[in-house]
Amino acid sequence: MERKPATREEIAAMVKVAGLELASEHFDEIVEAYHNIEPMLWRIRQGRDRADEPAHAFDPRKFMPRAPD
Amino acid sequence: MAVSDITGARTDLCDLSLTEATRLFSSGEITPVDLVDACLARIERVNSTLHAFITVCAAEARAEAKASAARYAKGEPLGPFDGVPFGLKDNIETKGIRSTSHSKLLIENVPAADAHVATNLKKAGGILIGKTATFEFALGGPAWDLPFPPALNPWSVDHLPGGSSSGSGSAVGGRLVPAAIGTDTGGSVRWPAAVCGIAGLKPTYGRISRRGVHPNTFSLDHCGPMTRTVADCAVMLGAAAGFDPLDPGSIDEPVPDYAKALTGSVAGLKIGLVRHWYDGAATPDVVAAVDAAIARLSELGAIVEEIELAPLDDYIDCKTTISICELYAVHEKDLKTRPQDFGKLLRRRVIAGGLIRAEDYIQAMRWRTELTTRMLAEFSRFDLLATAGWLNPAEPADPNGVDFFKKRTNVTMPFSLAGIPALSVLCGFSSSGLPLSLQLAGKPFDEATVLRAGDAYQRATDWHLRKPPLA
Repeated sequence: MERKPATREEIAAMVKVAGLELASEHFDEIVEAYHNIEPMLWRIRQGRDRADEPAHAFDPRKFMPRAPD
Repeated sequence: MAVSDITGARTDLCDLSLTEATRLFSSGEITPVDLVDACLARIERVNSTLHAFITVCAAEARAEAKASAARYAKGEPLGPFDGVPFGLKDNIETKGIRSTSHSKLLIENVPAADAHVATNLKKAGGILIGKTATFEFALGGPAWDLPFPPALNPWSVDHLPGGSSSGSGSAVGGRLVPAAIGTDTGGSVRWPAAVCGIAGLKPTYGRISRRGVHPNTFSLDHCGPMTRTVADCAVMLGAAAGFDPLDPGSIDEPVPDYAKALTGSVAGLKIGLVRHWYDGAATPDVVAAVDAAIARLSELGAIVEEIELAPLDDYIDCKTTISICELYAVHEKDLKTRPQDFGKLLRRRVIAGGLIRAEDYIQAMRWRTELTTRMLAEFSRFDLLATAGWLNPAEPADPNGVDFFKKRTNVTMPFSLAGIPALSVLCGFSSSGLPLSLQLAGKPFDEATVLRAGDAYQRATDWHLRKPPLA
């Protein structure tokens, strides 16, 4: 399926959801940056097994209070 | 002042490796004060050209050098790192010394405490000479719109030293200091090491504490030693490493004596060569130099077999997605309230992280598991993996050059994602005289074998003995 890059209007909507209020030159930057990363995101959105674990592991012992050295 | 090095040749003090220097401290031929004075004089002479150091701590360094000299005089040095002058990348906090991450945002940041890695190096007797240039927050560079100029390459000041530990690479390659610490999230120790003609090690994730290091990507940040020889890397790693209960990423594994692992032999070591990451992607001189280095390791007794892993692009997509999400989270407040205070490059690279969906970040983390599991499976057959250290020689210092992020040459990223130890070691020069590099990676916490192979290669070759024109 051919994918089309997000339009400026679509990116503007994402910017609003993200809570960013950008000057026009910074909006141009984010449009360019998003168009650079968009192909990566398409490749990341591959089908995965439900049980595939992310590379996170949480060990609560790491957050016990400790004295600094 | 000149002394005899290990080969008997007369040499300037700044040309001494750290192991040569401490040998001469022990024999009384020179003192740490002599070496610190020589480093400071060289910094005074060439730093205005290289821009390797942002801040120089001359008075503090001289005081520490006197204390170290007194320990040697009593025959009681603290260990093999005592009296060694070193640089620290400026994203590493240092008590009472400005730590800016090369950014306007932290231009007045004077920390109240040392980072854990700085504490460890000082406890080992190391002497902090100064803070080295970096890409802004270890990402935004090379940039010409920051409070300090970008560092330049000691092999050609018309070229860049890689990054983001650009000043550390330039300072060690340019012989301003024998050792420095860099940080490495996707290759930021190994890239500057590769193009500055030195050795740089990214240890296992969790080997050196990240506490007090300005975050880039929490799940990928490492600190690592940068020196001219692999043997020096072994000594500096031993001084810097160690469990830190206050860093949630730190792992409680014993720190071995890495210098003892340097047997000089690779006989029988099994090396999986990942040639498809550089063949066809790297410049021809890189391909030739890395192939020749692998052939040399074979002659020395290593057993090399070519293997295939996932395409380099997979690692780059996965790592970049993870990084920009975490970077955005780190910088969100400032991006929303003072975006103009970032350099343009950092802002441009990070701000789109705010538009990435949470599920994409998690899918990237799931992909990281898959890519890492597949890579680590190769260690059931091999002791080491090998590939190029970087895919091209140093880039020209051109403010209008192509953003390296778009070149997708990050052959260091696979080992960043896997969190395994990886060493960049000089293996030749381009036709224009710029350094080229081999990369060796090992099993988690098996830095010793990685260092052993890199050291054996250096004992059998003399690339690392060449001096840059600036020296």
